[in-house]
Amino acid sequence: MTADQRAVPLVRESPYRFRIERHGKMRVPGVVFATEALLPRAGEDRSLEQVVNVATLPGIVGASYAMPDVHWGYGFPIGGVAATDVDAGGVVSPGGVGFDISCGVRLLAADGLDVARLRDKLSALMDRLDLAIPRGMGQGAVWRLSGPSELDEVLAGGARYAVEQGHGVPADLRRCEDGGVLAGADRGQVGRRAVQRGLTQVGSLGSGNHFLEVQAVDRIYDSVVADAFGLSPGQICVMIHCGSRGLGHQICTDHVRAMDKSMMRYRIELPDRQLACVPVESDQGHAYMAAMAAAANYARANRQLLAEATRRVFADVLGVQMHLVYDISHNMAKLETHEVDGSPRRLCVHRKGATRALPPGHADLPDDLRAVGQPVLIPGSMGTASYVLTGVPANPAFDSTCHGAGRVQSRHQAAKSVHGKELQHQLEAEGIAVRGGSWRGLAEETPQAYKDVDAVVAAAEGGGLCRRVARLVPVGVVKG
Amino acid sequence: MSTESGHRLEPHTADTRVRAWAPTREQCIAEAVAALVESFAQLRPGGEPGEPAEFDVLPGPPDELLIAVLDEIIYLIDTTGKVPSSAQVMADDGGLRVLLELAGRDRIEVIGPVPKAVTLHGLEFSGDERGWSCRVILDV
Repeated sequence: MTADQRAVPLVRESPYRFRIERHGKMRVPGVVFATEALLPRAGEDRSLEQVVNVATLPGIVGASYAMPDVHWGYGFPIGGVAATDVDAGGVVSPGGVGFDISCGVRLLAADGLDVARLRDKLSALMDRLDLAIPRGMGQGAVWRLSGPSELDEVLAGGARYAVEQGHGVPADLRRCEDGGVLAGADRGQVGRRAVQRGLTQVGSLGSGNHFLEVQAVDRIYDSVVADAFGLSPGQICVMIHCGSRGLGHQICTDHVRAMDKSMMRYRIELPDRQLACVPVESDQGHAYMAAMAAAANYARANRQLLAEATRRVFADVLGVQMHLVYDISHNMAKLETHEVDGSPRRLCVHRKGATRALPPGHADLPDDLRAVGQPVLIPGSMGTASYVLTGVPANPAFDSTCHGAGRVQSRHQAAKSVHGKELQHQLEAEGIAVRGGSWRGLAEETPQAYKDVDAVVAAAEGGGLCRRVARLVPVGVVKG
Repeated sequence: MSTESGHRLEPHTADTRVRAWAPTREQCIAEAVAALVESFAQLRPGGEPGEPAEFDVLPGPPDELLIAVLDEIIYLIDTTGKVPSSAQVMADDGGLRVLLELAGRDRIEVIGPVPKAVTLHGLEFSGDERGWSCRVILDV
């Protein structure tokens, strides 16, 4: 199917960029960064309709953007970016962040360990990780908090609080987005049910598409940047993908329900209830931003604790240390200043299944990364490659890029196409050790359910969103 | 609409979509609960009877009643690690009374990702004296 035969008409602007002209209630156009082959399949995937719906949000500026891994979500597409002008009635939409607030990726690199040295001990390492990484329903967490007051500290202090309590080293925080703690968190905006869900899950993977993967650096595209990030050819790394667990989901649920009821007060009409939103500069908007920051801090502490458990296993089994390459979220709304029509504006940038990608020289980067840009971590589908990218100047989507491979098959279709046990055998035949959560959960994450991550990343680079630094290949997977 | 009761899981790219139908509003909600559970867990036969639990839902339009019940079930699963092995939903003064039996880990085989939230996207719940049906997407 070509671009102009779709239910949502697309205008091809370049080999990597398509445009949806403004129509109906759209306030801005839609812009889809993709190649023809990566465009969502009409009929099966309604994400382009969702790009159109997002373009109706009050205060949206620039365009409603879709990254090359865009796929059908609820409300916002997954792989969507939308910025609203805070000082011109721009809204914040919890659906534009997603239920799993600050879901993200953390990459650790093992000092002096390459794949050849690991091979003999891979099975023992995976068995230990299998035991050390809690995942799935009711399986507990790495960190047993003393009670609600300690959870309050996690919500306020994020990874920084975890490090202060001995779960990591201060150097970790320099390699976390926002130094590991997002300012403005308010425990008072986090409901009782969210607290209950959060008490026993700090340091747990969850399920769905979350994972911990042992990887090897397969290729370096830019050795200067890779060196600054702390990556070398053949090096063993660990990628952790997870978020704010039940607490984040409950915060999103509570605030979407509240906004769904109060939008009338702001005379906001939307084509999809899951886009429920209020002005950023309103009591409800402030309440959500404060609760979202608390959930983001929870997510960062969660990944910090999983990193600590990983480091312990690597030290015990292999006697090696691990340093943090970076920790970045891909479900967030952030207040950022960007130039719009020639003047700087305060924007609320929603990235739902999209990653911030700061260019070299950006003031928010730590000193040791300022010359090279921000590491962007792109997990591939299970059993396929992952990427480390960096930001580039003049990014056309408010310093954003893709976040993963992007689904093309439903979980249902994926689970029907292969049995989890068969998939495990296939992966192990390719030399990838697998420790699964459930057989169907494993089957639902079969690589064929996703777009080709190599093509997604090439399209993101072609669209001027980022630049490749390193490609990683899997060695072992612990599946949530 | 249908005079029979049932439920099934339908394809959705990233998450789990459930569809349920039944002669009454309350039975339809109970079918949606069963679908939610079946989306990630299988109950092993036999064993101890489930632990009873109950909760009330305040009066509201049908879609809010459905959402409130599913929200509560997800909350219970996440905070207790137990799963409803049966759900009875009764009309109660405009709202609902929900009676559950919760099965512990010894009776549950987790077969897929656990639902974490109920979305409002594409939510459908309607019916009349001829029967009720609903469609809801769950975030996993």
